[in-house]
Amino acid sequence: MKNWQRSLLIVAGLLFVGTAIAYAQLPEPRAHEFPYMGNRGAVWIVAQLHILFAAFILGAPIFIVVSEILGWKNQDVRYERLAKEVTKVTVILYSMTALTGGLFIFVLLATYPQLTAWLINHFFAVFAVMYPLLFIFETIVLYLYWYTWDALQGHKKLRHIALGVLLNIIGLATLIVIDGPTAFMNTPAKFAEGGMDLKTFIETTATLWDKMNNYSWWPLNIHRTVGNVVFGGFITGLIGAYMYLAAKNDEDRAFYDWFGFVGNLIGVGALLALPFAGYLLAYELCDYDASICPYMMADQLSMFFEMQGAMVGLIFLASNYYIWLSMKRIEGLEQIRMRTTTLVLMASIPVVFMLIWTKFPIPDKFALIIPTCWVTLFLIAGRFLKWTVGAQTLVKVAFLMVIIGNAIWMTPHAFVATQALAPDDGSLSLPHGELSLGFVTISWGDLALMPAKNAAAFTLVFVTVVNYILYNRALRQGRIAWGKIDFVAQFVLVFLAFSAIWTMTLMGAVRELTRKYFHVFNLQYDFTPESFTPTLAYSSWVFTGVTLTFYIVVSFAIILTLRTGKEKAHAEASKAVPAVAGAE
Amino acid sequence: MAAQTTFFGVIVKRGFQGIVAAVVLWLAARFLFHFPPVFQIMFVLYAFLGTSVFILLDAPSLSPVSGFKAVVLLIGFYVVISLVYIAGASALPQYDPMVEKGKIEKIVKPKLAATEKGKIDELLKRTEELNTQSQAILKRLETLGGEEAKKIEASVGGGPAAGAAPTAAGGNLVALGKEQYDLQECYNCHKIGGKGSVKKRGPMLDNIGTLMKPEEIKEKLLHPRAWMAEGFEKEYNKKLMPDKYKELMSDQEIDELVAYLSTLKDTSVPTPKPVKKQ
Repeated sequence: MKNWQRSLLIVAGLLFVGTAIAYAQLPEPRAHEFPYMGNRGAVWIVAQLHILFAAFILGAPIFIVVSEILGWKNQDVRYERLAKEVTKVTVILYSMTALTGGLFIFVLLATYPQLTAWLINHFFAVFAVMYPLLFIFETIVLYLYWYTWDALQGHKKLRHIALGVLLNIIGLATLIVIDGPTAFMNTPAKFAEGGMDLKTFIETTATLWDKMNNYSWWPLNIHRTVGNVVFGGFITGLIGAYMYLAAKNDEDRAFYDWFGFVGNLIGVGALLALPFAGYLLAYELCDYDASICPYMMADQLSMFFEMQGAMVGLIFLASNYYIWLSMKRIEGLEQIRMRTTTLVLMASIPVVFMLIWTKFPIPDKFALIIPTCWVTLFLIAGRFLKWTVGAQTLVKVAFLMVIIGNAIWMTPHAFVATQALAPDDGSLSLPHGELSLGFVTISWGDLALMPAKNAAAFTLVFVTVVNYILYNRALRQGRIAWGKIDFVAQFVLVFLAFSAIWTMTLMGAVRELTRKYFHVFNLQYDFTPESFTPTLAYSSWVFTGVTLTFYIVVSFAIILTLRTGKEKAHAEASKAVPAVAGAE
Repeated sequence: MAAQTTFFGVIVKRGFQGIVAAVVLWLAARFLFHFPPVFQIMFVLYAFLGTSVFILLDAPSLSPVSGFKAVVLLIGFYVVISLVYIAGASALPQYDPMVEKGKIEKIVKPKLAATEKGKIDELLKRTEELNTQSQAILKRLETLGGEEAKKIEASVGGGPAAGAAPTAAGGNLVALGKEQYDLQECYNCHKIGGKGSVKKRGPMLDNIGTLMKPEEIKEKLLHPRAWMAEGFEKEYNKKLMPDKYKELMSDQEIDELVAYLSTLKDTSVPTPKPVKKQ
């Protein structure tokens, strides 16, 4: 794609936004009916596509700069090349973000004109001034960053890195600014408890800051920032996989094998924090209005969370499988051993932590103190007890724990779409019995509660950390052959990227649906016939369609930028060689 | 070929172990712990998932593929994942949107009617209904009295002027209150007659009519922090009951709900005692 084409897409996006803001000022704008998919479906698809592109262009620059710094500090050209190639894809996807963003606000205005006008008027400074300005600044800095890459080398490298840092600051500011209205729709700011009612407060005295600084604003900022890094990491893994599949020589295969490994490392590294960032967001939503909690976990959205459990389990299984495949090609792996206490600790976490958190629910202080003591106990014991297990045994137990952790995560009170419909005979519900382990008793019902889910999430995270520690130890003691990874690893990277995107669309829908039959929760009713909760089956078609559309665009962007660029370079090199040879 | 044989060996070995694990889990779930069939199936599926994972762990390396074959493999892979995810999501229990649509209509309709647009829509709808009715009456009059009917029509200026009186709310207050209890989804936190929240977020309400006077129940609904049930006084629990019903429900709806809750006087159920806080 040429520069003028990219610029045209960005200008088109900005024009869409400008037109939308102007249209919002018209009195009594009329709604249009979107054919086939309905108004909600149209907004859903365009918004989700925009968020996916935006997530990548905001997440990728974070580790692009880190990679550039690593390359500069360690004089490792691989990091520099990784940063440059991911930036190249980011530049292409940036124009798609602008275009889908403009399209999103345009479709929103055409289908829900009164709500959009209401929102634009309440957040006028955000939509008409801050967001477009930040977007223009970001465009300028991104293009500066890209086009000065070769010019700012050597002693000027620090200036280029500074540009990258500035790009990230602007990107983060854009995210934080636009999250304000988004979070407001979920948790509109209330006046002090027992004071003015919500509607009067928002319509009369609330300032822009009051509206921005709502309950879920910062949790959403944190969750999206972490999520964007996960997403960027897995898409980098995808780029690595594509380029590995297309590589024609060992040098490229070695580089793209390493490239995919780094992408996965970033994705998994950030993924470890994601369940807790998600938990914080859910906690704040429930704290704002406790009725949101049962709606998510026990009522209409309960099976969406069941699906989320399945997806998270699959992502953790796949990322650990990738580590396993990576480890398998390290020479001397069989000599790597770890303390048996690590294995026992890993196996104990689901049950022990579940019991602790059932007895002392978070945020009780003992919910932190006792688990810390438990882990410390094993770390100290490991100093004295010298029994060890082989790396392969440890990894296999780790996989077993991922499956057990995921089984706990996915255990519901009942296999029903809503608890209100659970049959009285208990034919679909957890039994009332319990399991006595002698010194302690586990009630089956506890398996479906939050302490058990938290213990399961912690198990998945802990197992992955142990696997990476093991992997690092293997790297230090053995010898890795880059480019020689099992071919199936490339499909694991593709799977991880696809599943991460699918899960993002699933959880994005969940956050939006928690507003129930409101456009703005408890404030603006959704009077359209589409204000009901869609079925998970129907939603899964939308998730898959959006994911595939995004995948097709990203795949083309990768092929266009990296493959074509490489072929061009090869063609130029082959043209140049005979000329030089002839001259000689 | 040797690699294929080895992989076959892995499948047989791990497959056998997986079947044994599945049978053991199923027996334990069914006869020892008495889990319902749906959970027994879940345990068996986990055993198979574990088996697949362990087969993959021991599988020999896959030979590299490139070019057109790689593209076909990739596309096939995407199709398979997409279908598996859609099938997985569709296999889980689905909430029937029709149930919710009915509930939402009951909640949202009065709110829409209260808006300017709602009022205009309602007036237009009533005008249309009256017009249809008047047309039908005139038709009947024409058949009965012929020209005389036309004279009547002319004298009254084209049709009936007064609208039909609004129908009185059907059903009694208690039944309407029970409907409000369902519409506001109070059952997500409270239990009545053993039905409702499994997490004990809020107290059982079976005997609330004995423990609280109607005006006290109303005060609790409008100002949740004014009364707290014994055993639900922790700082976290205090915020559990949303402080929004005075804004989202009309006075009429609140009165209906209070009327229903006041009838709950089952002394055999240990409903926690409410204590006045503010």
